[in-house]
Amino acid sequence: MFSLKIAQGTLELGLMYAIMVLGVYLTFRVLNYADLTVEGSFTMGAATAAVLIINGTNPWLATLIAFFAGTIAGVFTGIFHTKFKITALLSGILTMTALYSINLRIMGKANISLLKTRTIFTDFQSLPFINADYAILLLSFITVFILGLLVYLFLNTEIGLALRATGDNELMIRSQGVNTDIMKILGLALSNGLVAFSGSYVAQKQLFADASMGIGMIVAGLASVIIGEVLIGTSSIGRAVIAVICGGIIYRFIIAIVLQLGLEATDLKLLTAIIVLIALVSPSIKSKVTALNPSGKVREE
Amino acid sequence: MLKVDNLTKVFNKNTINEKKALDQVSLHLSPGDFVTIIGSNGAGKSSLMNAVAGVFIPDSGEVVIDGINITNWAPHKRAGLISRVFQDPMSGTAASMTIEENLIMALKRGKKRSLRWALNKSKREYFCSELEKLGLGLENRLTTKVKLLSGGQRQALTLLMATLEEPKLLLLDEHTAALDPKTADKVIELTCRVAESSQLTTMMITHNLEQALSCGNRTIMMHEGRIILDIKGTERSNMTISRLLEMFNKASGVQMNNDRMMLAGTL
Ligand SMILES: Nc1ncnc2c1ncn2[C@@H]1O[C@H](COP(=O)(O)OP(=O)(O)O)[C@@H](O)[C@H]1O
Ligand SMILES: [Mg+2]
Repeated sequence: MFSLKIAQGTLELGLMYAIMVLGVYLTFRVLNYADLTVEGSFTMGAATAAVLIINGTNPWLATLIAFFAGTIAGVFTGIFHTKFKITALLSGILTMTALYSINLRIMGKANISLLKTRTIFTDFQSLPFINADYAILLLSFITVFILGLLVYLFLNTEIGLALRATGDNELMIRSQGVNTDIMKILGLALSNGLVAFSGSYVAQKQLFADASMGIGMIVAGLASVIIGEVLIGTSSIGRAVIAVICGGIIYRFIIAIVLQLGLEATDLKLLTAIIVLIALVSPSIKSKVTALNPSGKVREE
Repeated sequence: MLKVDNLTKVFNKNTINEKKALDQVSLHLSPGDFVTIIGSNGAGKSSLMNAVAGVFIPDSGEVVIDGINITNWAPHKRAGLISRVFQDPMSGTAASMTIEENLIMALKRGKKRSLRWALNKSKREYFCSELEKLGLGLENRLTTKVKLLSGGQRQALTLLMATLEEPKLLLLDEHTAALDPKTADKVIELTCRVAESSQLTTMMITHNLEQALSCGNRTIMMHEGRIILDIKGTERSNMTISRLLEMFNKASGVQMNNDRMMLAGTL
């Protein structure tokens, strides 16, 4: 059965993955850019944090450095796309592929164990007034709350509006004096920074980093974004940010439930692909249904 | 104000599709000049604007605004000097964003953008009063997404965005051609009013000869990449549409029957 303990663990992971989903939202929805760099930058965040931690770096600093490692990966993809005019998809694939080697170099081997090391979670647990049982949950929640708020605030700043307009109508925002190349690079950097940050959290919870932990991350991210949008809606930026965070958590619960029902862990990626496929097809099904139903009101987005 | 000198642009050079879009074009505008541009399809009207706006770099010649040579500037760098409205009502606004968000982006045209919260109460009030002048009721719909507006409303909004932060030069490329006649008239009326009240230096391409003569203080006609007619002052105020057509034929040579029909057909 689905015990409370499993539910809590799922919620913890869901919150951590929601950080990655926020990153995917920035590229996929805000910039209108399907960025495959995510597969490599997630692992990169985990690898960077893990290596730094076992070599004695303060875990909080290691986590922060993981974020910046991710932004650098995003900058590379952005430069491939904007300066060398390589398609969005191929730019991401190039960085992702390069990162596979780079991540192995960073780690020096295929996986690193963080058993019995100090992590941000052990640090947080040892703070006064923190119940050790809920430390991971609480820290993940606080992190997602702060990052979600920051993304929301950023998307309403002058630069944030320019970023959104770049994804909406490049010609228009360029004629308003915005360098859209810079905007794309910025968006990709922030996105991959968040993804790597998420990777460093997951590594510290699972107590290992693995060279292949990012595989399938982009499709999981897309599935989460879509699930959140369908269930919660996107009528405003605030709503969309909440939607994608919830989407990330709900996605983890769906995975946990099907695993409980006896599905093999190795079948998960197939399942995720099917979820994304259904989600991508369903808006057109929905519009066909509303077209048949004359009393059906058209919802804004 | 605007000095365009000997501008030449050849597309697809040394190929079978070689096309001289601009042929030694020179045009000088004084501050507050409103020039209307007419000419048959492919005459080079849009190319002239594209060269001024920086969409492409000309093969030779230069573009100078207020003494600054901007010939080789990237388009986004010119945004502080120039604003544009295109023919397609979809191209001037960000559809998924609200009216007020679009306006705030236009208010920042050509300026440095920061990490400050973009909107505030005083800006909203300012937008309301500006939108009110359009007379379309948009002042009550600040938080409506632009994709829900009609083509005419979007084009009026684009025009407001282009003039909210006064440009040195306003470029209008058949900006009413995609609208129904009634809406087009309204947007043209709005254009003339805005350009006049702020004394904007304006270039407007139009297919409508009546508009070409009624708006602004100067009219040029282009043909095969050259300016073949340039009228202003009393010569212009005494001009009629039929005489304009006649002059077009004379200036461009007798073989231009097709073009004549094209121009006449749009009346
Ligand atoms: N980007 C381009 N590439 C190739 N040819 C072009 C391009 N832009 C314009 N032309 C050609 O240059 C000529 C002038 O075009 P244009 O300035 O758009 O004419 P107009 O706006 O007066 O109708 C046309 O023959 C057109 O096909
Ligand atoms: Mg044209």
